[in-house]
Amino acid sequence: MAEPSNTAMQSFDALYRDSARDLYSYVRTLLRDDASAEDVTALAFERAYRRRASFEARRGSQRAWLFGIARNAALDELRRRRRSAPLIADLPDEQIRALDEQAEQSLRRATVRVALDELPARERELIALKFHGGLTNAELAAVLGTSESNAGTRVHRAVKKLREACHAPS
Amino acid sequence: MRRREQLSPEEARELEAIDVALAGGSVDHDLRELEDLVHEVRATAPEVSPALAARLERLVEHGPDPATGPAKPRWPRRRWVLVPAAGTVAAAVLALVVVLGNGNGDSSDAVIRDTGASTEAPAVATPGSGGSSSADESAPSTGRRAQRSESAPAPAASSRSGLAFTPQSRRKVERSVFLVLATPKDEVESTADDVIQTVDRFRGIVASSSIAADDRSGGEATFDLRIPTSRVDEALGALSKLGHVAERRQDLRDITASFTSTQDRLDEARAERRGLLRALGNATTQNRIDSIRARLRLVRAQIASARGRMASLQRRANYSRVSVTVRGSAKAEPGGGSWSPGDAANDALRVLEVIAGVALIALAVAIPLALLGAAILFGARVARTRRRESALDAT
Repeated sequence: MAEPSNTAMQSFDALYRDSARDLYSYVRTLLRDDASAEDVTALAFERAYRRRASFEARRGSQRAWLFGIARNAALDELRRRRRSAPLIADLPDEQIRALDEQAEQSLRRATVRVALDELPARERELIALKFHGGLTNAELAAVLGTSESNAGTRVHRAVKKLREACHAPS
Repeated sequence: MRRREQLSPEEARELEAIDVALAGGSVDHDLRELEDLVHEVRATAPEVSPALAARLERLVEHGPDPATGPAKPRWPRRRWVLVPAAGTVAAAVLALVVVLGNGNGDSSDAVIRDTGASTEAPAVATPGSGGSSSADESAPSTGRRAQRSESAPAPAASSRSGLAFTPQSRRKVERSVFLVLATPKDEVESTADDVIQTVDRFRGIVASSSIAADDRSGGEATFDLRIPTSRVDEALGALSKLGHVAERRQDLRDITASFTSTQDRLDEARAERRGLLRALGNATTQNRIDSIRARLRLVRAQIASARGRMASLQRRANYSRVSVTVRGSAKAEPGGGSWSPGDAANDALRVLEVIAGVALIALAVAIPLALLGAAILFGARVARTRRRESALDAT
């Protein structure tokens, strides 16, 4: 592989600075496992680094491209996990920690976290892409391989489910 | 998934509010709850651990570790697009080999056919049908040949040695050869003269000939020749040297049965004539004498007819019919001629024709392969995407 140019490196560095936290949040929300999420995030950045020459601006933003790579890696991880032992999510600890907090705000966040965690994977992914990733509907469409209007519809449906879950009696 | 592509105005407003909230802006009062949800969800976003942050920092600064990175694929990305190209090249080479293999030598467009021995009646050789069809002597083509043959000067000799090429010396075989010679367009007449000289040299006969002049193509000369069968191979060799052999066919017809039956009829007629002559010598009454003489006239006519037919068959066996066509051609090169710029242009054109043909064949092979490959790649991609998506349904 040819040595990357300074411009390319700066561009990749900027992409990393801008997206690393959001990308991890998205992957973590999708996988519900810290260790797997860290591995998948690192793998996504590695793949993006190796393929940075193949990025085509006309097919979408760099951010959408990076999230697309991360999504494929995360789905592969889910498939691999499906073939092996099922994940024992660390949700109980989170719940216990949340319940230990007395502040109302903490309680609300715990409620949202639980509601999000209990959403079906497709809706949970959409919420993570939108809220954690901060993707526009056009970028969402590029990542999911669908139209922008369809992406918007799906996001709205997922938000509606999340709101219902948040208001559901525990 | 695509049941409802169009958002209602209210839904669009809520989506817009989400984007505004994500961007840090304020939304309408009635959508405050949605804004709060956005902030709450954002606040639940998992934080990057220091270990992961350090790992990513190393990656960005130094690039992926080659030792721990994924193995480099044997085929670099997008190299698969070379597969159809490689297939095209392979097909082109194969087609070239086929073309060159078929076109070996300078007689690539020559046609040489030998229809083999045949009995007299069938037009196409049917070995094993024997001579039983000899009675079909009156077939139109055969009849015309006989007439032309008789119009030509009678052969000087009809020795049986002329049948030496037959598998069995007693068999009578008629041989016909069709030869097309291509010559440069300005050499048609001189080649025609050479044909006549060659026929004379081998004591042959020119039954008929014609020359049609044409300034553009050089014209065409046709000859209907009779060559002694004993020397016909030698004569054909000499004729073939007069130009480029564009086509050559030959036909062998077994006429033994016709010959034998005619001979038998002749013998019977002669025997009957001898008997009639003896009866005439012994006749005592005028009526008997008249009757015998009338019968004798009839038998003599039969003998004459049989003799004529025998002579005709003998000529067909002893003399081979050779049809020669001399055709003017821009690309014919009889050998020994100088290679002119015009010839070079013709050769170049021929090379281009071959290349175009090879390219066409290669495309005919490569295009379906490329389409098949593209369909397979597309199908594999769709299947992989579906497999990945199925992971979401299982969690």
